[in-house]
Amino acid sequence: MPTKTISLKSTFSNDALLILEFTTKILPLIKYERFQLDNGLKVIVHEDDSTPMAAINLLYNVGARDESPDKTGFAHLFEHLMFSGSANVPDFDDPIQMAGGENNAFTNNDITNFYDVVPAENMELVFWLESDRMLSLNINEQSLDVQRKVVVEEFKESCLNQPYGDAWHHISELAYEVHPYRWPTIGKVPKHIEEATLEDVKEFYQKHYIPNNAILAVAGKVTVEEVKVLVEKWFGDIPKGATPNRTIPKEPIQKEFHKRIQDAKVPTNAMYLAFHGPGRDEDSYYTFDLLSDVLSNGSSSRLFRRLLKERRIFTEIDAYITGSIDPGLLIIEGKPSEGVSLEYAEAAIWEELELLKSELVGEHELQKVKNKVESTLIFSEASVLNKAINLAFFEAMDRPELINEEALHYQKVTADGLQKMAREILTRENCSEVYYLAEAK
Amino acid sequence: MPNRGVSPPIKDITQLKLPMPQEISLSNGIPVFVVNMGTQEIFKIEVIFDAGRPFEHKKMVARATTSLLKEGTRSKSAAEIAELLDFYGSSLSLPVNLDTSNMILYGLNKHFDKMLSLMTELLTEPIFPQEELNSYLENSKQRLLVDLAQVDVISYRAVTEYIYGKEHPYGYNSQPELYQHIKREDLISHWERNFVANNCKVIISGKINDDMLHQLDQFLGKLPIKDQPKENFPPIIKQTPRKVHIKQEGAVQTSIRIGRQLFSKHHPDFRGLLFLNTVLGGYFGSRLMTNIREDKGYTYNIYSTIDALHRDGYFYIGTEVGTEFAEPALKEIYNELDLLCNEKIGVDELQMVKNYMLGNLLTMLDGTFNVSDVVKTIVTEQLGFDSFEVLVESIHQTTPDQLQKLAQQYLRKEDMWEVVVGE
Repeated sequence: MPTKTISLKSTFSNDALLILEFTTKILPLIKYERFQLDNGLKVIVHEDDSTPMAAINLLYNVGARDESPDKTGFAHLFEHLMFSGSANVPDFDDPIQMAGGENNAFTNNDITNFYDVVPAENMELVFWLESDRMLSLNINEQSLDVQRKVVVEEFKESCLNQPYGDAWHHISELAYEVHPYRWPTIGKVPKHIEEATLEDVKEFYQKHYIPNNAILAVAGKVTVEEVKVLVEKWFGDIPKGATPNRTIPKEPIQKEFHKRIQDAKVPTNAMYLAFHGPGRDEDSYYTFDLLSDVLSNGSSSRLFRRLLKERRIFTEIDAYITGSIDPGLLIIEGKPSEGVSLEYAEAAIWEELELLKSELVGEHELQKVKNKVESTLIFSEASVLNKAINLAFFEAMDRPELINEEALHYQKVTADGLQKMAREILTRENCSEVYYLAEAK
Repeated sequence: MPNRGVSPPIKDITQLKLPMPQEISLSNGIPVFVVNMGTQEIFKIEVIFDAGRPFEHKKMVARATTSLLKEGTRSKSAAEIAELLDFYGSSLSLPVNLDTSNMILYGLNKHFDKMLSLMTELLTEPIFPQEELNSYLENSKQRLLVDLAQVDVISYRAVTEYIYGKEHPYGYNSQPELYQHIKREDLISHWERNFVANNCKVIISGKINDDMLHQLDQFLGKLPIKDQPKENFPPIIKQTPRKVHIKQEGAVQTSIRIGRQLFSKHHPDFRGLLFLNTVLGGYFGSRLMTNIREDKGYTYNIYSTIDALHRDGYFYIGTEVGTEFAEPALKEIYNELDLLCNEKIGVDELQMVKNYMLGNLLTMLDGTFNVSDVVKTIVTEQLGFDSFEVLVESIHQTTPDQLQKLAQQYLRKEDMWEVVVGE
């Protein structure tokens, strides 16, 4: 069921990742065509006639990193308001449902992303709907009031009313000092959402929801020609806005170990270790990603195999990267087995990290993580929606070619590169750590 | 300038035909359904055994047995198995539902033979090492403790337990203290009895060629034939529904589940109820969502659902609401049930739900792996391949009268269990 959701981890890493593709013989290139309207809207189209559907993805280049520190959670609240209807559309969802389609949206630190999947012959309906809410959204006290409540309930459901639900609040606050990644997409506190005013909302809409701050990707049983005609028809007359300028403070290099111990009503102890690393746009990003894979992608990975299965120090353990556009984090999280102290469990993690620094990852193991990435990419390509989302995202990075090239970047990662990065980032000074201490029963 | 005041025409979905799978039979009689419509060199094999809870001799053994199939065979350790799967870019999952135990393998065609051989080994030569069992039991227990701290888990467990009874295969819940009673011998016995050729079905999908089917017979064709496993499915004792409130200290949200027993997909009213459920809480534009989220803002999510099992089924409404909204949310939920009983649904809404459901079916036919899921449902629940067409037709034919009658028969509030968990 679509529920206009958010993703707390700032996404596009690991499984969610992408439809990329290898230029090996089993995979054809993903062909795409790009064009831009006079008002600045960028459009990218991929024809795929193996599906009866069309996926339409409209990305707005605004996320939680564009919020001010006293008004957090705003980008995501606004995503909810985008479903309140527009000048000519009383209800956004009704026509999509009438057309046999589905739609949803997500917000993360970097972007706000809306998508619709409909039988391809109903594509024009989506252009009508999406262009109408880009041009003239209904914003009023009543819808704002309801969505403030809905989002506060979402905040409670995802962060407050479940064990470890506020982990991301602690980690981001501890790891980032100045960059807006220091608050989660849902917002720092419910109060910020409760206090959003109609004026704030209108200003946000005018500033960010303009054609020259958006990217439209269309994939599926469509032709480039028909998309061109229809996009020009429905989006062409939307006026251009002032390009939002972004001044995001750069996070200084962390120089000392951060730690927070949280006494909490949780069933069992838990720990989170966060290390700063490169952003999505840097060459070293792929090394960063594979480093987390060596640690924890699949049940043959190091942390799972050695610490959970062999030594039974943990009952759950995972490592992943946040995958954000600005420099992100590698997170290691785990729950120690009954009777194992957090300190002992943590020491075992550090042993594994030291090993990555002192010994090269073997050839077989490196090949394994590369194979696994390759396979993930091939399988995710089976979904036309994935392709549309990824095309829009890469276009937002101004690097659409990554849809076909990113896989090669993974192939180029070397054992030396992994070791070098491990030495650089898997250090105590670069680490922020959160402990959850379960209340004694 | 486009005329924005007029919606572009919406075209009806006309093409809704399930592509028929090819049906073959392995040397040992295992039926195989082949959904060969992939565009990429990848495959999915799903092996399904009737080995769920009705076939257990002890609680929680079906899940444990299935989960441990990949944790060691006569010639390979758990670590070696994991290494092989990861190295060849395969993924193996072992979903267990109440009725069946499944093994699903996704892989690249270029490694088909190696992976099929491994899969067969997992099914025919597992040894359920004691060490691995200990680890499984400990980790499962910890995870359960975490789950049990969540109000939605507590309410869901309660409502199914009340409907079926806490000793019934469909009703019992995992309990932390029960893990210690699960022994290696239980797993071996469950596996020996149930993971046999005459209790098995296979669905293969992707881009499949004859050579792959030939190999399928060479490998899975070796599964042994044994006595037909016996099921233990006691009659469901009808309970008088009650309102149950469970206190959870410190919860900032209250979890609500309102539900009742229904039936499997074979019941003549199933398709009608599926439609009715969609109206009530089965999609974003549903009545519950529109009223309780989009109008009142009491919750982030509210839905209703029908869980159709092989031998029975149940219906429930679920939501988590702010503590202060629990009372008014309950009132609105019951109002919506009353409304379905008292008033006929309007033509616009009827049409929207029809189109939404047909669109949903179209999505289910999009791509080889989606089709394989439809085929799996049809095959494991023995619905017959015409059931897809019958469903499409019944959606087209649904009337306001029919929905109101169904609501009056099945959605009366006095027939519902009510479980509320919160502060």
